[in-house]
Amino acid sequence: MFTNKFIKLLCISFTILPFGQSIAQDNDGPSFEDLLNGFNDPARWLTYSGDYSGRRHSPLTQITLNNVDQLRPVWTFQTGTTTRGRGFETTPLLDNGVLYVTGSNNYAWALDARTGRAFWRYRRNLPDDLTYGASAPVNRGFGMLGNQLFMVTLDAHLMSFDRRTGDVLWERELADYRIGYAATLAPLVLDNKVIVGISGGEYQTRGFIDAFDPVSGERIWRFNTVPGPGEPGSETWPDDPAVLATGGGGTWMNGSYDSDLNLIYWGVGNPNPDYYDENRPGDNLYTDSIVALDANTGELRWHYQFTPHDVNDWDSNHMPVLANIDWEGEPRRVVMVGNRNGFFYVLDRVTGEFLLGEPFTATTWAREIGSDGRPIILNDGSQGCLPDPWGSTNFYPPSFYPGLDLFILTARETCATYVPEEPANIQGQSNFGGTVFIDAEKGYGALRALDVHTGELEWEFTYPSPTFGGVMTTASGLAFAGDHEGNFMAFNAETGENLWHYQTGSRIWGAAAITYMLDGRQYVLIPSGTTLQAFAL
Amino acid sequence: MINNHKFVISLNAFLVLIILAVNAHSQAVNPLESDPRAARLGGSIFRAQCATCHGADAKGISTLDAPDLTMSWVERQLSEEEVFQTIREGIPGSIMPPHSFNDTEVWMLVSFLKSVAEVGTTNQIAGNSDRGARLFSSNCSRCHRVDGKGGSLGPELSNITGRRSQDALVRSIRNPSANITRLYKPISFITVGNESVQGTIKSEDAFSIQLMDSNQVLRGFSKLDLRELRREEQSLMPSFTESSLSDSDVNDLLSYLQSSRSP
Repeated sequence: MFTNKFIKLLCISFTILPFGQSIAQDNDGPSFEDLLNGFNDPARWLTYSGDYSGRRHSPLTQITLNNVDQLRPVWTFQTGTTTRGRGFETTPLLDNGVLYVTGSNNYAWALDARTGRAFWRYRRNLPDDLTYGASAPVNRGFGMLGNQLFMVTLDAHLMSFDRRTGDVLWERELADYRIGYAATLAPLVLDNKVIVGISGGEYQTRGFIDAFDPVSGERIWRFNTVPGPGEPGSETWPDDPAVLATGGGGTWMNGSYDSDLNLIYWGVGNPNPDYYDENRPGDNLYTDSIVALDANTGELRWHYQFTPHDVNDWDSNHMPVLANIDWEGEPRRVVMVGNRNGFFYVLDRVTGEFLLGEPFTATTWAREIGSDGRPIILNDGSQGCLPDPWGSTNFYPPSFYPGLDLFILTARETCATYVPEEPANIQGQSNFGGTVFIDAEKGYGALRALDVHTGELEWEFTYPSPTFGGVMTTASGLAFAGDHEGNFMAFNAETGENLWHYQTGSRIWGAAAITYMLDGRQYVLIPSGTTLQAFAL
Repeated sequence: MINNHKFVISLNAFLVLIILAVNAHSQAVNPLESDPRAARLGGSIFRAQCATCHGADAKGISTLDAPDLTMSWVERQLSEEEVFQTIREGIPGSIMPPHSFNDTEVWMLVSFLKSVAEVGTTNQIAGNSDRGARLFSSNCSRCHRVDGKGGSLGPELSNITGRRSQDALVRSIRNPSANITRLYKPISFITVGNESVQGTIKSEDAFSIQLMDSNQVLRGFSKLDLRELRREEQSLMPSFTESSLSDSDVNDLLSYLQSSRSP
């Protein structure tokens, strides 16, 4: 919808720009080449995971196994906005000494990375009748290219900002928020595309992944995660256009990118309704899958479905982690996923071939993946409790430590009973299709390190409650993680020994650390509660 | 497509209620109060729209800071109109959003919440409150507080009869280990200084424990300094069988608690 305000903004942006030239080319901000180079410049953190691989493994080594116990807080930024019940889930971006940070309720800031003081603030004027966005008013970060920042909103828009001022350059509607759509992820920015997904799989929605032109804001392609009638994959649904049009399959966590293959890897969420399945027999592709899409066209190259015909809300909205590893004596380009269904997976990322699937929790849902790549279901819920709808892990980032070949993730051990109930199927209202009884007494969390070749547990560190904190590793042998009780911690990545902890005062939920060098000093940042905390030696 | 007989019946009942509730908006009193279907339909709405945060049993999820709605009425002394407004408008600055349910749906939710609310005893409990006061002093006051006097190891009990049913209170006296509430879970351990400590856990993380010890002192410990840490299943409160407190004694005790002032 073009508002007068928007048209004025568009006119201003065209006035500033010489014809045909992109903002990225005209200014000093990071280029696509810089984004491709990932961690090469230690004074930058330019994408959600620090590079396109999703590994969240920094090469920095000033903070070591021997001195990490001297890590101290150096500044705290107070956001003044809260998401009670959820978290401060963002990953800040850093360039030229400035942090670009998104917050809950679509607040945003540019901060001095040395002091935490703000250069500018932004707050979106959100409508009063948000749907999914009201229940989870979170945001996971900016995307950046040149002097442009990109942020998605709780009323399902994509916005572009001038990073020097926080001024809005353009905005586009992704979908009608009143139906149940919202957007919360950190945009994946490539050379000439800003790629985003959508939240709202608990509503009468149909998921998609969109690519936009960063300069004009025009949409380049859309991939629908639930096929239309007659399209490939529609045979896994009932022959009913109305069911397909509201099949869910949110894409609310950003993906990773392989520039050699020019493929993006993206997770897809649960089918709608979450727990009630009588109207949707079949595998329900591409829900609970990973899809590999051609970055230029959005065409599907391959997919792998982790949880066929999901009835437990086990979205597969995870960061796909890319690595080139030795696999049974041969070099192999793989993508790894720690999944909400309790299994750790290794797939060939060129072809989608299933290589490994092993449980990393005590889940009784399944204990092995068959030779056809499908889980062998042992417990549909009638044989005792299952992992809860938040899953055995969730969207918060894991980390891959090259060399050690460890996949380090936060696991959740939970016990839930699902009671499906036919939902009302009303637009604009959540549509879980039942309810879930969670035995809180039986829940706990754990930081776990898995051997990527076997899926075997190498070490773990347990937490008192199921935890939602992400992980970052550094080349000095450290793993940083946060827990539900508010501790920000450092571990020996090889052994799991806890080396340091700091009580931040609020749960670390959905966020993982970043690290960077400034003035010869290594900083580590973690969002927690309503604060962004910086640490250094 | 929804083409289910049960759903059609529910929808019909729902529509009838809507018709009955025309002009029901903005009333201080629930216009569906006398309709038994309202709580049932409200329960369906609750499970679909509210249970993710408040739990399927409406008892809240502490890790989400979502409150126990079964206790809202008595603990916060909310009126039906205030509950209605909270559902409609949400709680600014919190994750509790405003909702666009129509008035009838909100009143159905109010009816459901009322139906699962913990309620106290309204009838006068038959007992000798003076004798109950003496029993309380000799058996309970070391750990429980009433009218500003007593200990703090267990919950404050002033006018507890206004917040819990008589049956529930009798069960708590006879078998306190059957249901130990979150802030009163017992724990024991030995410190590096060989001190044996017993108490109730107030908080815990991966590295530390915060508790009230059996001397009613708030203490914090690093887990590195502890050994033989045991999470007991038996409450620190003893079970009062009929040989130690007869049914008549219990009634006297409850009569005394009913005569106490609200905290």
